Amino acid sequence: MNYNNVGIVGIPPLAIIQELNRHSVTIHDLDTPMIKADMELTTPYLPRVYCAILRTVVLNALHLTLDAIYIDVGPGKCDCALHVATVLEDMFAIPILTTINDDITGFGTPISQSRMGLLQKFERITEGVKNTIMPSEPPPACTPTAGFWGVPPRDFSILDLFPDTTHIYGWTRCMENKTPADHELELDYNPDIPTVFYAQSFCAKTALARHLALKHPHGLYLDSDVTAGGSAKAKIQAFLELSGVKL
Amino acid sequence: MLLGDFGTSYSKFLDLSSARPKPHIIPSKELGTEHRVTIATGHNGKRFTDWYVNELTVLARGGEQLIAEDAFVLLDCGSRDIKFIHYTNGRLNDMGWNSECGASMGFTIELLQRYYDLDYQDLPLPVRPFSVTCGVLGMSRIFDAVVSGTPDSEAVARFVMGIAINAYRFAGSPTKLYLSGGLCDNPLFVKSIPCEVIPLGRFVLLKGLEAIASQAGK
Ligand code: SF4
Repeated sequence: MNYNNVGIVGIPPLAIIQELNRHSVTIHDLDTPMIKADMELTTPYLPRVYCAILRTVVLNALHLTLDAIYIDVGPGKCDCALHVATVLEDMFAIPILTTINDDITGFGTPISQSRMGLLQKFERITEGVKNTIMPSEPPPACTPTAGFWGVPPRDFSILDLFPDTTHIYGWTRCMENKTPADHELELDYNPDIPTVFYAQSFCAKTALARHLALKHPHGLYLDSDVTAGGSAKAKIQAFLELSGVKL
Repeated sequence: MLLGDFGTSYSKFLDLSSARPKPHIIPSKELGTEHRVTIATGHNGKRFTDWYVNELTVLARGGEQLIAEDAFVLLDCGSRDIKFIHYTNGRLNDMGWNSECGASMGFTIELLQRYYDLDYQDLPLPVRPFSVTCGVLGMSRIFDAVVSGTPDSEAVARFVMGIAINAYRFAGSPTKLYLSGGLCDNPLFVKSIPCEVIPLGRFVLLKGLEAIASQAGK
């Protein structure tokens, strides 16, 4: 493998991450904001009204010097990623390698269930996509007082509004478990705790988030785009406060 | 203790230390440094206090004070946005805050009144509404209608009715709706909502702040 810098989109299969790690290739998670640049730079390539995670992928790819991009387009990611793979192929001369991650070996979800700032939990889980080692000392589980269901949001600032005892559900939990296509796990939630069901605006998962929020005895559906506006944050604050969640 | 609801167009105050606390209201463009309060809410509120509570929380607390039922929908129509809370079994069930599609709704309704010199107290309910999503987009429907011969008053009434139906749908199309905000005083708007409407007036958020103040004092 002659790559030094590789971008990943979604969660490529474990075997690929192992291979990249073995060759000491630097992995850049293109789903996360890495570049301070105007999102408008992506409009020649993607519609403005499109998933902000994938617009971020294009923005990152425009600014980083990469040798290849692995992009998962299986059931653990989405059709939007499949189409973005086609766009990336025409944008860059580097290999754009599509993968279908159907890994089923669970790594466990201790971070999702731990007592820790929610933002920190998300940082640790998203950082975890670049390695393949089981955490040696997983944090202990805490009794949850709130839940966050969904994908890692484009704008992490909403995570600061939750208490440390928030458990993570949905695709982020699948991500920690390294089984991104585990639909059963994605559907799981705790009906006994107030839960925010979050999806990126313009993502197909908005349907599932809204559906589960309606099913949940105490759920709030929420979506946001590139940045979460004041009203999205106010909704979270009010929801937690009015649900009696201690912050 | 001074409480303030700092809206986009109007700000409302309640002085709890006065013998008989009575709300007073000023246009927000007249706000100055002398208007600092102990607890504030509203779009402009953060600049005037060290203790800010967000509007949805305050709306819910106001609703809890003013509505005796344990299942209700309370919709607040402001100048700039609309928001609702929905309680079932005495507990929050759903909520929404629309500052995009509800944009400038109240503001536009007031602007049109002045521009066309209309009195909403006199305008009859139109037969059908314009299909509008927000104040800004709805304006062009009015201008188109006026250009094609519809009387100003009828075009504006159809716009107001469209906006009211929109707000009602946003709140989940309930059979009974408690209404908060300045539009409670607009009979055309109130009558345009296709369900039983109970206007609570423009001081619901002050009531909510009062509840928060008394809770904190305990
Ligand atoms: S947020 Fe939804 S649309 Fe965007 S990349 Fe993830 S799954 Fe795809």
